[in-house]
Amino acid sequence: MSEFDKGVEVEGIGKSFGAVDALRDISFDVARGEVVALLGPNGAGKTTTVEILSTLTRPDRGNARVAGHDVVSDPAMVRRAIMLTGQHVALDEMLTGYENLVMFAQLRGLKAGAARARARELLHEFDLEHAAGRRVGTYSGGMRRRVDIACGLVVRPEVVFLDEPTTGLDPRSRQAIWALVATFKDAGIATLLTTQYLEEADALSDRIIVVDHGSIVAHGTADELKERTGGTVCEIVPRDPADVDAVAAALGPLLPESSRAAITPESDRVSVPAPEGPATLSAALARLDSANIALADIALRRPSLDDVFLSLTGSVASDGEAELIAGEVFS
Amino acid sequence: MTLVLTDTQPVPSGLQQWRVLTKRLIAPTLRNGEVVVGVVVSAAATAGLYIPLNRLMERADLQMSSYAQYVVPLIVLQAISFASISTAFRAANDSVQGINRRFQSLPIPSLMPLAARITASVYRCVIGLAVALACGFVIGFRFHRGALSAAAFCLLALLTGLVLALLGDTLGTRSRDPAATAQWLLLPQLIFGFLSVGIQPLQRFPGWLQPIVDHQPISRLVYAMRALAGDSGDQVPPVTWSVIWPALAWLAGITAVAVPWAAAVYRRRS
Repeated sequence: MSEFDKGVEVEGIGKSFGAVDALRDISFDVARGEVVALLGPNGAGKTTTVEILSTLTRPDRGNARVAGHDVVSDPAMVRRAIMLTGQHVALDEMLTGYENLVMFAQLRGLKAGAARARARELLHEFDLEHAAGRRVGTYSGGMRRRVDIACGLVVRPEVVFLDEPTTGLDPRSRQAIWALVATFKDAGIATLLTTQYLEEADALSDRIIVVDHGSIVAHGTADELKERTGGTVCEIVPRDPADVDAVAAALGPLLPESSRAAITPESDRVSVPAPEGPATLSAALARLDSANIALADIALRRPSLDDVFLSLTGSVASDGEAELIAGEVFS
Repeated sequence: MTLVLTDTQPVPSGLQQWRVLTKRLIAPTLRNGEVVVGVVVSAAATAGLYIPLNRLMERADLQMSSYAQYVVPLIVLQAISFASISTAFRAANDSVQGINRRFQSLPIPSLMPLAARITASVYRCVIGLAVALACGFVIGFRFHRGALSAAAFCLLALLTGLVLALLGDTLGTRSRDPAATAQWLLLPQLIFGFLSVGIQPLQRFPGWLQPIVDHQPISRLVYAMRALAGDSGDQVPPVTWSVIWPALAWLAGITAVAVPWAAAVYRRRS
């Protein structure tokens, strides 16, 4: 096994396609046994980042090392250390699942006998034995994705890139892939995954990097990112939605003007900032009790990653436009 | 640890990769009917050209002993160009299916998948050539100038196949549309095939077309192959450099254009 500290080290990489900056000055790293999620909307630069790290695209600027090897000067060694699963399954549709596995095992250097044994082992692990002899062209989406990933595991990877691994998958296949990521982590493999799903980033990764318009807009653990959007809120749902205004009135000074203004005729709940957590909740409960309002639910809720994501990428998008307009004015 | 992960990290072997990548292209041809179709196409081309045209052609006009001896070089070239269409189709398929991208992310030398596709194409050409010669034998085609000339005949056909395979592969990789690529390639095959001296003597074409027909690559290849096959009489010109070099020059010329184009197409993907 080769010696290196970080699975992935990225220093200021950038990539332009014509006049469009697909990536600008991206820096991050992924340690061994760590799972890092690149989270962002379509076109944010997630796939370009993965393509650079898996040597499919050369960066215009900056440095990147994967498993200790430079992606530009030593792509051959990078390729030996990585496993890449792209957004689109890349298999030979004319061959059976078994034949695809044997082929990729032999391409990675296993001799014919060892390749066949490894293929059978993986078919078993990925619950594909029943379909082993059928052409991949006849497989369902979930089965194709499983074969695709299995083909990446014919030898041991040091660094795994999963580019939107669960997009369009059924819940069961999705669960299987989530479990696999946990296996990678336990085995000390560095995993970089891209996703548009916040719950996926939240559930799987140790750290999240939020990208938008080719730049990193936030970086941290899921908890840190949630913290950044503002603290916990106490969410109050009256049994009768018509009581929302009564709730707002009963809360009195607990409900700041800004939160009061956020209530619309369609609201079925009231969100109260809860800087003191349970104390805020019990104070609210006491006030609602004495006002005799029946509740369906009252709970402390930390902001979801959705909230974080929207606030981060939403604001960046508008900043970007503002800059552009300013640029036009002065040019 | 589960069996999902192995500890194996072998060193890949280029020779094994070339073999495996070639096998991947050849194995399905035996069961998806591609080989059968190839055989049928060659047989059909033979029947389709020979049966209707045999009675139309006057021996004196042909200056050869039989129409079979006259037309088989063209039948061989048709079989070879069908093989290159299959190559283009496979190349386009690989581009669309994204498997090329995956190969690029594996420790495989970048030209290895291309080398394997070309090898598989040579295999198709060998089948096409063998079937065309077998059909030719049935209608009466024979080699009259010895084993060496017969071998040179086959070599020239396969060399043509090699050049067309590179052209077809590049076109398919670039177009990323298997069906359209295959259809577009039928056009030059028909035009060059039917407007050539492979099908009828030069003087039967309209005067204004004759210079083109006479010098276009298929005609030049046919002249060379006819000389290499010979005839029972002595009307076919002998194998001389002046018959062979225009055919080789065409192949060299097409290669000189195809290689830089191929290099540009394959490089663009990185």
